[in-house]
Parts: sequence; structure tokens; C-alpha cells
Amino acid sequence: MSAKHLIVGIFALLVCMHSGIPGADNYRVQRMNMISDIQDDVRRTERFINKKSFNAAVMQAMEKVPRHEFVPTELLSRAYENRPLPIGFGQTISQPYIVGLMTDLLHPRADQSVLEIGTGSGYQAAILSQLVARVYSIEIIEQLGNATTKLLSRLGYDNIKTHIADGYNGWPEHAPYDSIIVTAAISHIPPPLVQQLKKGGRMVIPVGTRFQTQYLTMVEKDLQGKVTTRQVLPVIFVPFTGGH
Amino acid sequence: MHAMIDEKTSTPPLLSIFILSSAALAYEVLLIRLFSIIHWHHFSFMVISIALLGYGVSGSFITLFRNRLLQHYKSVFIINIVLFGLSSIACFITIQQLPFNALEILWDSSQWQRLLLSYLLLTLPFLFVANAIALTMMRFNQQIPLVYGIDLIGAGLGAVFIMALLQILTPDTLLRVLAISGLSAGFFALSNFNKTQRRVTVSILLLSISGVFMMPQAWLDLHLSEYKGLSQTLLMKDVSLSHTHSSPISQTDVVQSPFIPFRNAPGLSLQSPVGPPEQLAVFRDGDEMTTIDHVTDNSSLEYHDYMSSALPYHVHPSTQNVLISGSASGAQILQAHSRKISTIDAVEPDKQLSRLITDVYAEYFDWQSLKDKVTIHAISPRGFAAAENNYDLIIMGPSGASSGGSAGVHALSTSYEFTIEALQSYLQLLAPDGLLSLTLWTSTPARGNLKLFVTAVEAMRQSGIDKPENNIAWIRSWNTATLLLKKDHLTTDEINRVREFSDSRNFDLAWLPDISENEVNRFQLLQIPVYYLTAKSVLDNSDTRFIRQYQYNIQPATDNRPYFNNYFKWSSLQEFLSLPGQTGISMIGVGYPTLLVTLAQATVAAFVLILLPLFFIRKQQNKSADRRGNIIIYFLTIGLGFLFIEIAFIQKFTLILSQPLYAVAVTLCAFLVFSGLGSLYVQYRLRTETAAAITVLLHRSILLIGLITVIYIVLLPLISNSIMVLPETVRILSAFILSAPLAFAMGMPFSLGLAAMQHNTPHLIPWAWGINGCASVLSAVLAVLLAIEIGFNGVMLCAVMLYFLAWRNGIKIAS
Repeated sequence: MSAKHLIVGIFALLVCMHSGIPGADNYRVQRMNMISDIQDDVRRTERFINKKSFNAAVMQAMEKVPRHEFVPTELLSRAYENRPLPIGFGQTISQPYIVGLMTDLLHPRADQSVLEIGTGSGYQAAILSQLVARVYSIEIIEQLGNATTKLLSRLGYDNIKTHIADGYNGWPEHAPYDSIIVTAAISHIPPPLVQQLKKGGRMVIPVGTRFQTQYLTMVEKDLQGKVTTRQVLPVIFVPFTGGH
Repeated sequence: MHAMIDEKTSTPPLLSIFILSSAALAYEVLLIRLFSIIHWHHFSFMVISIALLGYGVSGSFITLFRNRLLQHYKSVFIINIVLFGLSSIACFITIQQLPFNALEILWDSSQWQRLLLSYLLLTLPFLFVANAIALTMMRFNQQIPLVYGIDLIGAGLGAVFIMALLQILTPDTLLRVLAISGLSAGFFALSNFNKTQRRVTVSILLLSISGVFMMPQAWLDLHLSEYKGLSQTLLMKDVSLSHTHSSPISQTDVVQSPFIPFRNAPGLSLQSPVGPPEQLAVFRDGDEMTTIDHVTDNSSLEYHDYMSSALPYHVHPSTQNVLISGSASGAQILQAHSRKISTIDAVEPDKQLSRLITDVYAEYFDWQSLKDKVTIHAISPRGFAAAENNYDLIIMGPSGASSGGSAGVHALSTSYEFTIEALQSYLQLLAPDGLLSLTLWTSTPARGNLKLFVTAVEAMRQSGIDKPENNIAWIRSWNTATLLLKKDHLTTDEINRVREFSDSRNFDLAWLPDISENEVNRFQLLQIPVYYLTAKSVLDNSDTRFIRQYQYNIQPATDNRPYFNNYFKWSSLQEFLSLPGQTGISMIGVGYPTLLVTLAQATVAAFVLILLPLFFIRKQQNKSADRRGNIIIYFLTIGLGFLFIEIAFIQKFTLILSQPLYAVAVTLCAFLVFSGLGSLYVQYRLRTETAAAITVLLHRSILLIGLITVIYIVLLPLISNSIMVLPETVRILSAFILSAPLAFAMGMPFSLGLAAMQHNTPHLIPWAWGINGCASVLSAVLAVLLAIEIGFNGVMLCAVMLYFLAWRNGIKIAS
């Protein structure tokens, strides 16, 4: 190692110390802590989401995907906190628990293809890419979509295809989809998306203001093509508890 | 600069005080507008409330440095004027540079530091104004009521000026105008200056004014939160701002997006074969998006028939005349038009919104083919409902975007549209066979729609409908619910049509007179069929358990407690807070907690500001220690009482004047101007009479305040409906006349208190001024909190009690 490299190394170390950027090992530890936080939340919401834990494959995917790559540099030290974080453009990277819950609700399988409306940071797509064969993701904000496409490519998520477009019409070329995940605010469930959903498929839509996701709406298309919606709350709320 | 002092000066700079007070009140109103645009209404409420503590800080500051400041009165007065002018604009610019995100405050502790910094910055302009006024009172201590009277009158007229200016100028431009107005107050404080002094002062003022005038516009451009709907929409490809208009009510922005259509269709059925046509998006204060449809032919309107709000047109296909309450950007007008309705009355208090469809985008909206059958009335729905008309159908909502309601940002807003009295007046407007249709966004967990149902049932019962269960139909889509009320029983045909409409569109039934349990919760599955359970429970007269035990407050709203959007319930707080992570806070909604946090912050700050000077005064003066308790109680109670009554009257007049905007302007103007006259009357009496007159006037004014307030509590609900139907100018005049005697009496106690102290404890006058300032801040928050809990009549009664408490202490101060 030349003196120049040494200086650069020391400088980088100082920058990391100053900015609170943890090293790779540290990230692994933080990721495990995040998994533990998610499991705690799952246990606390057990009676509500009717399960004691998320699918093991989902948790493995969350263990594997480096969330810190998807957050802005200034928030690296908070990347693995169980909270939503701002990523610019008025968008957020969702709370890990919500990402886990949404992914789990889709019942992902290795042979499936999933459509995501609202690529955002790319984190949700990266998690899905570990679980399904193909992820198609559409982003409406050009600048954000381009940046995330580059990031996903750099990180080697080859089974994710991104597209800058209006998510309302879905992506008919690759339809039908086993699952659809919509992270954009919508006034109604877009009929084209329902049409592009396979029979027996599921669509998940988080509803609520950013930083305050309150519940998820699940759209299910049964084998006869009948469509129902169902609300899934990530919180315990049951009327008539008589607890007060 | 202290060389300029002329100790012989004997006339207070009244014109300066008038302009300064006027500019300060206008600035306060402007800040509320500015923060509502760049952040959200509830945040604006919190920041401005705390910023007004500048008055409290001023009291402490002057108490501590009284002698030194008075010694250099003229210089200090001018300096404070200059500092107000410059800080009013500089502080806002600085706050805009802070990376503050109100939404993230529950997650990120660093946001609190930024919030604190915002408070401190905004406190400064109010501190400087308060310094100038309080020092003038100290300097001209024989004329305190005169100075105070001019201060109040200036502030009262400032309220009207700013409302008028907001009609013609944008808020960012007004920031510059108010800073220059504030600075110009200095020109009227130059009497008794010698030539050199004048030249220096005028130079400083002109330099400051030039600086403000030449400030680059980019510094003043409003930076909306990136999380607001408008900010996010403007990031989309090829989107452009098509039209912007600012009014005292809101800033309206119209956005066009040729590349990515907006497609706003609240609760559109999944069975709809068609979607919305091309649309323009309309944002109010950068959020709450509604849309204007591009009407080309009848097919562009077909989608309206697949929304839950189309239900009444299917139940009564032969409907002829419709009243649309809150027509906004015209969606409900088009829905009625698509059903071939021959006469449409639409009510929209915001003229700017109506102008978009009748003028600015008339061609786009095809107003030409509508104008012969549609009449838009610029009045509140309640004001219109007070008139005697007869409709086959009355339609209300949904309005704006859905997210706000669930986040609780409107919890602090009063609404007279969904109170028991309001629904009763709508029912009265119905033809014998008519329908009242109310559509709201749904929220999860359900709250707004349940509250509406409970309110509707109560309104029907109070209207003499014995068995409302036979008169109600209720359906829901995945994000809207439509409630249908009829004065008479729903017929079998009508019930069948509700079923047919819902089934064909996959909407769920929540209530029908002959509903069975297996009909509910089929398409939009809830974990518990809470809508049906609520209806069943509420319609069973004997069972109020459901409402009592529900985690949210779904008790009906009334005109006395018009907080329809507040669902907070103390008994659920612990349960919510025990939820994982931050979700519990999300469940409560941000409105009510904002109020509590603001109150806590204001109380702590007020406590410090009131007690801190005492620590120093004790060292200087011990003689007056025995009266300090009386002074604290007196100035706290009259400060609280004054604002309690004023805030209650803003609400009472909102109903009478049919426009919240007029209510604020008229009430502030009337109360401040008449109070100012009351204070001038005190000055007039004290010129010719002895100090004993203080006690007499105190007795009379407080007795009058108590008596008139109690009379109004009884009288106003009785006369409101009669006044509501009168012409606009008569209604405004009535509000002025009603305010006059009460406000006149309310202007006396403060002046009398200070006049009494001038005899006994003059060194404590700035401290009393500060106490009163702190009380004003506390009262603004407390009044809302009390109104939510006990109603505005309760707030007025509390004010009476506070004034009587003040009376007892005032007598001791005057003795």
C-alpha cells in the first residue's frame, strides 16, 4: 500500500467516523437487529395479522438485502431503524415492518412475476427480487426512477425491470401478474391493474399519509375472477374490547 | 442614537402605535396563511400560538431593563420598529431554509430542535412590537388607556386590512408590504427630533425600506413541504401549473398534466367499464386535491354513475331539482347533469373555486351547456339551508383528498355542515319524498362515517322521526360511504333499488330497513362489519354501549361543539399509546395531540416568563410583593377571559355570517375596535375623575361583561337562524352591533388595571403586560380544547367566571 493509499484510507475512515457511517460488519449486525425489531412487531400484532411470524423466506430476504444502499447518505446511520425514512422527492422508504408485512401478504413464490407501482427507493423491489422470478416496477417520477434503476443495476438485481411511466395502466406487455403492489396514492383501484392480476392473485395497497401508514388494503381476485378488497391493519384495533 | 432623546416629549406617538399594531395583527394572520400553505393548518396553529409569546417575553424584558430602556425611549422605540420590520421578513426567510418536516416529528427528534428554532425566530417580530407598545405605555404612564386603546383599534383595523389585501396580493408579496408598513410607522415618531436626529432616523428607515423593497423575490418564494400533494404532482413528467390564485381562505393552484392523466374518481366501482376523462387537478393550500373534468360529451361523464354517491339518482330516477352542498370544482354538478336533472342549486362558499368552472376553465368544463340550469351560491351550506326552499335531493360530499381525514389534520377545524342542527335544517329543505345523500371518505379504523351516522340518527329523532331505521340506507365502496336519509319510510321499491345499485357495483350494504347480517361485508371485507354493527346499535334506542365503548369519539357534533373531525377520546389514549412503534400516535391523529403539545409548551413558557422577572424584581423592590398574587391572577384572568369570548364569538358569527372568513375579520375588527373605544373611554373618565373612578368602572365593566355574555349564550342560538337569512350587509352589521356593547366593556379592565398600578406599583406595569400576553397565548389553545370538551357556551361561561375572579383581584390592586 502506497502512502497515497494510506492517506486516502485514513481520510475515508475519518469521514466514516465523522458521518457515523458504519462498516460492512456493523451493517450486518444492524440488519439482524432490524429483523429482531420486525419479529417483535409481528408478535405484538399477532392477533391482528393472524400469524406469529412472517414467512421465513421473506425474513431471509430482508436479512440479505442491504437496506443502507437504498437510503440517502445522510441517513445511513438510521438505515436499519424500524421506521420510514425520507428519500427525497417527497417519497419515503417504508418502515421495514410494513415492507415485511406487504411482502408476506403477497405469498411470494419462486416462479411468480410481480408488478410494483411506485419503485421509489427500490428497496421493496429488491426484497421481492429475492423471492420471485421477475419483478416489474414502474415509477412516475423520472428523476427518481432513473436513479433507482441505476442503483438496482449496480447492486446486481438482474430480475428487476424498471420503467418510467404512469402506473395506472400497469405494464400490459408482461401481464398477467401473480401479485401487484401499489405504493402510490390513488382515489380508486385502477381497473387495468385488476385486469392484469391473475386469477387467484393478490394486490396490496398501503393507505395513509407518508410516515403514518395505518392500514393495508388487499385486493383479491378469486379463481372465478370475483374481486374483493380486505383491510389489514398493522395495529391492534378491535371495537368492543371493553378495556377502558 | 440616544442623543436623539427629547425628554420633553409629552404626546405618545399614536399614529406609529396604530400602524405598528395594525401591521403586527396583519402579520399574525399572514403567518397563519403562509404556514398553512407551506406546511399544514394544525402546524400553523401551533407555531403562531407559541410565537405570540413574544408579548410575554417583552414583559419580562422590559421589567428587567425598564430604567435603561425608558431613559432612551425614543431611540428604543425606533429601533424596535426597525427590528420588527426587518425581522418580520428575515425570520420567515430563515425558517423556510430550515429542513423541517412536520410529518416526521414523531420519528425524528432533530425535528423538535428545528421546531424550537422556528418558535424562537417567530417570537422576535412580536417581541419588538410588544416592546414598542409597552415602553410607550411606560413612558406616557398617564395615558396608558389611550395608548392601549389606539393599539387595539389599530389591531382591529389591521384584521380588516389584511383580509382585504389577501384578496388582491399573494402572501409572499404581502410579507414585503407588511414589513414596509411596519417600518413606515417610524416616520410618525419623529416629532421633537432635531434636524440631525431626523436625518439619521429617516435615513435608517429609508435604507431598511429599500432593503426590503429590493430583496430578491426568490428569497420570498414559498417552499411547500415536499410531502404535499402539489409538490409531488409537480415532479411528474410534463406537468405544469396552469393557474394560481390566492385569497384569504386558501391558495388555489390548478395543474395540468397532459402526459399522465389525474384520474380522480373517489370510490369508483371495480365494476365500472369506464374511467374518468381528462382532468385538471385543483389544490387548495398545496393539498386536498380535487379535479375539474374535461367535458366533451355524455360519455365523458359516465363514470360518475359508478360511484357510491350516484345511489340517490338510482333510488329516485325521476329527481327534478337538486341542491349540491359544497360543489367545489364541480364533480357533483356533473354527476347531477349526467342524470338529466333540470334544476341544480350548488352552494360553494369559496368563490374562487366556483370561478374556476364558470370562468377560468368554463370551456374545458363546458359551463355553456350547464349555466342555464345551474346556479352557484357563494354562501355556506348552513346559510343556504336557513332559506326556505324545497328539493327532491340534497347532495353533500365527498370533498378533497382522503388522506387528511385519517391523519386527523382537520381535528381542530370547526364545521357546521355535519352537526345535528345542520342535518335537521337539510331535512327541512327536503320535499316530502326527498332524499338527503351524504358521502364521506372512509377511514380505517372507521370513525368519520360512524359519527355521521350517529349524528344523522339523532337529527332525525330530534326532527320527530320516531323510527329512523326505516328511513335510512347506507352503502360503502372501498374508500367512500354514502348515507341516504328520507323523511318518510323507504318504500320496498326504493329498498330494492338500493340493493340492485350496490350489487351491480360491488358496493357493500351497511344498513337498509330490512337488512340481514349475511348481506353485509361481502365485497370490501372489514375484519369486523363495524358499519353495520354501529347502525344496528345506534338504531336500537336502548343500546348506547357501542358508542360509549368505541375507541374513537363518535358522539354527534352539535353547533355548540362543531368539531366533527375530532375523534379523540381520553379513555383510549393508553390503549393507543401501547401499540407498537409510532402507530399508536398515528391512530390518535395529529390534531388533538398538537393541541395538547402546544398547550404544554405554552404553559411552560408562560410559567417561566411570568416567574422569571419576579426573581429579579424581588431583589430590587420588596414593597409591592403583597400585590403580586393579585396582579398575576388579574391579568391572567382578563387575558384568558377576553380571548375566550372573542374566540367563541368567531364561531358564533361563522354561523351567522355564513363565511368563516367574514367571521374572523368582523369579530376581530369589532372586538378590537370597540374594546379600543372602551379603553379610550377609561382615559376620558380618568382625566376628569379621581382614582376612585377606577373601582367604579371596574365594577360596572365586569358586571356588564358577565351579564351580556350570559344573555348572548341564551339569545344567540335563538336569533341565529333569523339573522342567517338576511342580506349579507345586514348580517355583517348585526354582528357589529351584537359585538359592540360586550367588546366596549371588555376593553376597560386591562386599562383600568394598568391605571390602578400606575398609582400603586408602576414598576410592575411591564410585568403585567407580559402576564396578559402569556394569557392570550394560553387562551387561544385552551379555548379550543375547552370548546371540544364542553362546547363554546361552556367556554363563554368560563370567561364569565374568569372575569369575576379578575374583579375580586382588581379591587385589591386598585385599593
